[in-house]
Amino acid sequence: MSSERPKLGPDIPKVITGWISATGRVVYLTKDRDWSENLLDAEVLTGPAAVDVLAWASKDQTRATDPYFMQVTPDGKVAGRETIRETIRAKGPTNHPMFGKQAGNN
Amino acid sequence: MYRYDEFDETLVRERAKQFRGQVERRLKGELKEENFKPLRLQNGVYLQLHAYMFRIAIPYGQLSAKKLRQLAMIADKYDKGYGHFTTRQNIQFNWIKLAEIPDALEALADVEMHAIQTSGNCIRNVTSDHLAGAAFDELEDPRPWCEIIRQWSTFHPEFAHLPRKFKIAVTAATPDRAAVKVHDIGLLMKKNEAGEAGFEVLVGGGLGRTPYIGLTIRDWVSKQDLLSYLEANMRVYNRYGRRDNKYKARIKILVNELGEAEYRRQVEEEFANQNAWEKVVLPQEEIDRITAYFAPPKFETLPTKSTTLDGAIAVDRHFARWTKNNLRAHKVPGYTAVHIALKPQGVAPGDASSAQMRAAADIAEKYGLDDIRVAHEQDLVLPHVKLDDVPAVYAALKAADMHASNAGLGSDIIACPGLDYCNLSNARSISVANEIQALFADPDFEDEVGTLHINVSGCINACGHHHVGHIGILGVDKKGEEFYQILFGGRADEKATIAEIQGPGLKHEEVAPALKRVIARYMELRTSKTEKLADTMTRLGQAPFKEALYASA
Repeated sequence: MSSERPKLGPDIPKVITGWISATGRVVYLTKDRDWSENLLDAEVLTGPAAVDVLAWASKDQTRATDPYFMQVTPDGKVAGRETIRETIRAKGPTNHPMFGKQAGNN
Repeated sequence: MYRYDEFDETLVRERAKQFRGQVERRLKGELKEENFKPLRLQNGVYLQLHAYMFRIAIPYGQLSAKKLRQLAMIADKYDKGYGHFTTRQNIQFNWIKLAEIPDALEALADVEMHAIQTSGNCIRNVTSDHLAGAAFDELEDPRPWCEIIRQWSTFHPEFAHLPRKFKIAVTAATPDRAAVKVHDIGLLMKKNEAGEAGFEVLVGGGLGRTPYIGLTIRDWVSKQDLLSYLEANMRVYNRYGRRDNKYKARIKILVNELGEAEYRRQVEEEFANQNAWEKVVLPQEEIDRITAYFAPPKFETLPTKSTTLDGAIAVDRHFARWTKNNLRAHKVPGYTAVHIALKPQGVAPGDASSAQMRAAADIAEKYGLDDIRVAHEQDLVLPHVKLDDVPAVYAALKAADMHASNAGLGSDIIACPGLDYCNLSNARSISVANEIQALFADPDFEDEVGTLHINVSGCINACGHHHVGHIGILGVDKKGEEFYQILFGGRADEKATIAEIQGPGLKHEEVAPALKRVIARYMELRTSKTEKLADTMTRLGQAPFKEALYASA
């Protein structure tokens, strides 16, 4: 009933993630305001201006749905209290490794 | 089985066409997600962790071979070759693309299926006893009443925007196999003192973050008055159910805040004051018309015992075990109901591949009078199989790897998709379930333990029914780590009981070893093999089991 994500302060490194509207695939916002399925392509945001980027992403609804901040390390790896969730989300279900991105599926 | 008339056909076709237009507008950017979300939810479409999830209604859990094959086709063409049967007798696909869902809806309409009433704050898909029409212990077949309620509730304009979702279950048997006491409304068919069949109406049951057992609001209502009485309940709920807080919006909260007596008074007042023009008094002809769709199939006259079956049991101990655990008594001599446990070791509970769906469809068509049921335990059931055909059914199930011999036993675990798929979940369910299943890898040990219901949920929303397992497991998040609270003493049958949380949560890897100790303690303390864990706990209290749970390994 609630899929609200934890609030992340301005100093915490974060990326913006969402889902491709047409397919539902997990994506991350890149520096050039495109969406990539590869977390390594995501722009790591810090500081108060991140909120403006999220506001922009929230308006890009034709391409991506329900964007939110996801905590990462400064070099862009999944971090924070949602590490398990976001790792599964990035790679695929642990019970069906053949179906997720961990198996190289597109 | 109910067959669509021209109204049903038109309705689902127009619904699919309407959703196609909505999807097109969404993908063109003409509809924002906030506007589109309620529309997609009304068509069973959720956005989950990895992709869209598409939930398809299986009214009262009944399928034909044709319908199941179409689900297999959808699994292959639009998903990743498998589906997940749910505790509400529906099926979910986890990887579907939004743009392709209108095509899938069209394909469903081709076989009289849809995704209506699988989401949103409406009256959801009505569930029932998976042995309905086959059970020797039922008063009468409850499916016509499920269908009558389905037709009454589908797109009912007054109840399209309820405070929250609303779940109704119907059973006509004791024991209760439909968990009616943990539904918003549970209907138990029974006779009154005059010997007329009607319904006991239980209201306010439910699981989730505030679990309750339903209360008997009316001991008996006639068949003719059933819909009017349901409307009276729905109106009181629609009028006074909370809309300011979704966590307190279910009818169980209203019933408990008002109190049983006051809630009953309001419903009875509403029922008594319905105008003649608004009362839905079912004409007998309409009851007969719907009931005719569920007329019993033409059963053969057969001996009670089958020498073919007995001979096969005598020479194959694996088959013998399967027959002992997976066959259920049938009301017609020479027939049985076959439980297909979708719980082999190491597989997500309730998952079936498209090949398995086709195999089950073939078996049902050849040996099962073209009838397949989904049980709320996330298993499939063939309700009508001749005893003589059971060896052939087993061989066909074995060829499809659908011959798990664990129906109702420790490894027949109910589990939600959990954090592997669900956007709401806090912790994984499937992996915990699989580790617990491994405790029962030795079939002799599993048989020795006997009936045991273990239910796993990945969050407080309780899709895995953890509150009503003999042992319930609830996944929680503790500062980013998966922990699992253990509950004891629940049951979902006619003695429905909400399980009690035992204490601090355990780490993922601690759950299975802890349950191993609890099961060992149960086997030490039970009076006989037929004493279920919940009964042993009732007799002795939960302290000995809690001590075992938290004992060091």
